[in-house]
Amino acid sequence: MKMPLSWLKKQAPFRASVEEMTDALIRLGHEVEGVERPRHAVRGVRVGRILAKRPHPNADRLSLLEIDVGAEAPLSIVCGARNMDVGDKVPVATVGTELPGGLKIKKGKIRGEASHGMCCSEAELGLAEHADGLMILPPDAPVGMEVGEWLELEEAVLELSITPNRGDCMSARGLARDLAADMDVPLAAAVAPAIAVDAQTRAPGLAVDAGADCPCYLARRIEGVRLGAAPAWMRRGLRDAGMRAVNGIVDVLNYTMLFLGQPMHAFDADKLSGALQVRYARKGERFVALDGRELTLTDEDLVIADERKVVALAGIIGSMDSAVDERTTNLVLESAYFAPARISRARRHHGLVTEASMRFERGVDPAMVEVAMAQASRTILDLFGGRASELARHGDAHAINAGRTIHCRLSAIEARLGVALDSRADAVLRRMGFHLRRDGDRLEVEVPPFRHDVALPEDMAEEYARIIGFDRVPERLPTLLPGAQAGLDDAVHAAVAQGAVQVISYAFIAPEEQRHFVRDSAGDLLLSNPISDAMRVMRRSLWPGLLRVARHNLNRQANGVHLVEQGRIYERREELSERPMLAWLMAGEAVQDQWYAKARMVDFFDIKGQVDGWLSARRLSARWQADDDSMGLQPGQAARIVLGKRCVGRAGKVAREVAQSYGLDLPVYVAELDLSALPPAKRPRFTPLPEFPAVQRDLVFLCGREVRAEELLRVVMRAGGRLLQEARVFDVYQGQGIPEGKVSIGVRILLRDAARTLTQEECDRLCDTVVAAVAEQCDGALR
Amino acid sequence: MTELASLRTQLEQLRNEAMDAIAGAGDLARLQQVRVAFLGRKGSLTEVLKGVGRLDPAARPLLGKDVNRLKETLNKALAEREQELRLEAERARIEAERVDVTLPGRCPARGALHPLQQGLDEITEIFLRLGFRVAEGPEIEDEFHNFDALNIPPEHPARAMHDTFFFPDGHLLRTHTSPVQIRAMRRLLADGNEPPVAIVAPGRVYRCDYDMTHSPMFHQVEVFQVGEGISMAHLKGVLKHFLTRYFGRDLPIRLRPSYFPFTEPSAEVDIGCVFCDGAGCRVCKQSGWLEVLGSGMIHPHVLRAVDIDAARYSGYAFGLGVERLVMLKHGIPDLRLFFENDVRFLRRMGS
Repeated sequence: MKMPLSWLKKQAPFRASVEEMTDALIRLGHEVEGVERPRHAVRGVRVGRILAKRPHPNADRLSLLEIDVGAEAPLSIVCGARNMDVGDKVPVATVGTELPGGLKIKKGKIRGEASHGMCCSEAELGLAEHADGLMILPPDAPVGMEVGEWLELEEAVLELSITPNRGDCMSARGLARDLAADMDVPLAAAVAPAIAVDAQTRAPGLAVDAGADCPCYLARRIEGVRLGAAPAWMRRGLRDAGMRAVNGIVDVLNYTMLFLGQPMHAFDADKLSGALQVRYARKGERFVALDGRELTLTDEDLVIADERKVVALAGIIGSMDSAVDERTTNLVLESAYFAPARISRARRHHGLVTEASMRFERGVDPAMVEVAMAQASRTILDLFGGRASELARHGDAHAINAGRTIHCRLSAIEARLGVALDSRADAVLRRMGFHLRRDGDRLEVEVPPFRHDVALPEDMAEEYARIIGFDRVPERLPTLLPGAQAGLDDAVHAAVAQGAVQVISYAFIAPEEQRHFVRDSAGDLLLSNPISDAMRVMRRSLWPGLLRVARHNLNRQANGVHLVEQGRIYERREELSERPMLAWLMAGEAVQDQWYAKARMVDFFDIKGQVDGWLSARRLSARWQADDDSMGLQPGQAARIVLGKRCVGRAGKVAREVAQSYGLDLPVYVAELDLSALPPAKRPRFTPLPEFPAVQRDLVFLCGREVRAEELLRVVMRAGGRLLQEARVFDVYQGQGIPEGKVSIGVRILLRDAARTLTQEECDRLCDTVVAAVAEQCDGALR
Repeated sequence: MTELASLRTQLEQLRNEAMDAIAGAGDLARLQQVRVAFLGRKGSLTEVLKGVGRLDPAARPLLGKDVNRLKETLNKALAEREQELRLEAERARIEAERVDVTLPGRCPARGALHPLQQGLDEITEIFLRLGFRVAEGPEIEDEFHNFDALNIPPEHPARAMHDTFFFPDGHLLRTHTSPVQIRAMRRLLADGNEPPVAIVAPGRVYRCDYDMTHSPMFHQVEVFQVGEGISMAHLKGVLKHFLTRYFGRDLPIRLRPSYFPFTEPSAEVDIGCVFCDGAGCRVCKQSGWLEVLGSGMIHPHVLRAVDIDAARYSGYAFGLGVERLVMLKHGIPDLRLFFENDVRFLRRMGS
């Protein structure tokens, strides 16, 4: 909300500087986001009276003026304008002044005659775009006074962010009331000006049937208005306050609203038929709003109607065909109170936000219903003439929200704030309109009707807090018993420790990306109001997000990427499910060219190493089962990751067409673990270090290509029995020297007895057993 | 010429030959051959000594002395030469193994934690050390937990300000981490416990707002404590402690009255601008202050929504915007960098 400072000053005579007022507003909870200065008064331009005028001896178009600017001697000024005469008052820029256009006034000679200043036009003062001749000031302008000061040219506009609980502060009056109470400046009384009522003009007929949703409705007819534009000062004021000028009547109503906080509406009386009604709409009733939108109403909507049609959605917007326009001569003015919840519901249902709805749904000051009506009527009559009727009246605004009382305990308020209350706060609250009665620890508060936000003792705590100021609250650190809290989740940290770069991507992706890795769409969760189609569905895999990041980076000259992301996936199963996942992506070069090594593209065992390494940090060891039917992964390079009997994730090479859909022509490998499916990390258990040396033997087998390493090792381990401590594949070879369809697998075994040193013969025997088992169960021969 | 003299001449000759051979041995293996050739069991000296038998017994000790002297001389020469050769070999080895120490080392590729992750960790850690416990909640929420229980009824204007993402069935993506308050307190009571309770709840939140300064997904950390006698003073104490720890220096803080439906009183929290130290700059719009979070005393309606006796217990709550805190701490100018995930940025900021 924009609030010109001069408007506040019209409500209370603030003498403080803009900075002091800004600070006070912030302290009171009215955030000042900035201060605009739409007009700077020029300094050094004074009101001057022309004492003498004679033609310039050397130039036909110029005059020589003698001007009194309140100085000891009059100034001689050479002037090119023609519209001034002796006795006129004009703005005189004295020597040293800089005008808004950047012109600096210097003493000078124009065609041989000395000139000690410059007479100004409105354009030269920055008041108008164009000007013909000098600005002639009114006769009562005091000679010698700064023109800017006399014209009130200077303005500071506060850019405020009024919180939604403070509808009462969405006006100059409401804001000034808060500020004046705090700064102890008297607030001007809000008195309804007297209106000369024309007995011949009949008040509009009125029937209100809306219960508590419209406890008060005032209407007045004004006939014979000669509608013109609002005066310049009013239009300038509206512009300062961030509103557009529309037409004379609407501008007056807006101006009144901005000052008093009471939204009003005007109907063209000649476009109404019969009495006004305030009633609930009939379901399906239609009406075209002022902004041209056609609304279909529900029986929840409160409307203003005449005998034939709906003419306004109450408190929000009027209809197009009852609106005031430049041909309007007869008006009906409305000033009313509508219940906030009713307005809020209609506003949300129809998606309409107007200046009026913003105020009504936050709650307006009931006392202003009548004042605003009188003020607006008076202004319209003054500016545009016309004859005003008596008021048609429903209900009494003064009864609205009146007499609400809160019972507080002062000690409870002090306990909540952690600070003692003082008597200044009570005085400020009284100036804000609260009635306070103290009785020992008890405090009885009667809340002013415009404070819709105050209903509980805790609300009074807030009132005291903002008056006392949070800076008075001491800082105290609570004592907490440390709980048995485990440390932070370190899932992603362990992956980063293995060289991955962590990324964070959006939880929503494009539906077609979802289909790359998740076959059925039944479990998809689609947003009703996504930012875009590319962010429509909640992800069921982290891979699409990682692929996008890979594309971003590989397009920016990265040779390879190694990414990890931790985040949730979202599905509708029987119920909504959110599961924490950890996912990796490796693409392009796993190793770059180095002076000690050649570059190498990433392969399956890079990604597998990442996952197995990560698991081993938790002392977990997974089994990898080939899976040729893994959605989005290339058959033959895809696997299920199994812990115990449970599949906890999958990994593999991204299918070529999927990678290419992200513009990736490099090998891309991904893996994903469901963190919620993992058993807790195993704790380490102590075992004594071996006392006797181990014997290492390498056995190289020639096996069929179908033999799986895991299977081979299992056979080896089982055959080796108790003494075989460890077996691992140290070499895999196919190619020259190896028959077609065969593969050479080197297994390194470690033999050890905990109680003694093994003999050569024992080791040989054990190896023979192992070799025999492999021959029998894997059809593998020792090479 | 006597036998003795002849033998002595032979010894002298042998000595000369041996000394030449020792000096001429180019490596340790050659030197060993020299040793064997002259002093070995079948070496030249043994050959010479075969003539001792022909010697007059009286002359034998004389020759013996000469032989011993010769052996001593040769052994010494051999030892010296050996030492020399060893040094030479070591020098040669060192020279052969010389490397260019300016070549880059073999270093396993370093990963990087996302700066937001670091921020979340740092923030959470500060509260963990104070004795707070970590809680989490679902990101797909219902209106009750996200709004109603937090004293934001449907017609409330604040509800419209949340720019909520909805699902067709009425569920929504949580717009803040505050629903964790509701869930954590309900669980506390369901488990048969009572306050005091102190929770830190980091998490992702969503608003449908997407431009230069808004991301539709961002991170918050919800912090709250409920117990007997908890006041605004505790809120200020915890805030001051947190902000001092997080920014690593004693920054001025300012609480401004504000409005949140779920707190009463409510306060926006500003810190002295970390860029200009309060002097006024572009970032703080010349105000000297930076808004960092919203806070307040938990509204009694919220406590009542979870069946906690609001007359007996009170509490404070605040929600931290992680992106903003990380941007301020590290001088990151643009929110979008966090979600663009450019590896160059992540590595630079990463740890």
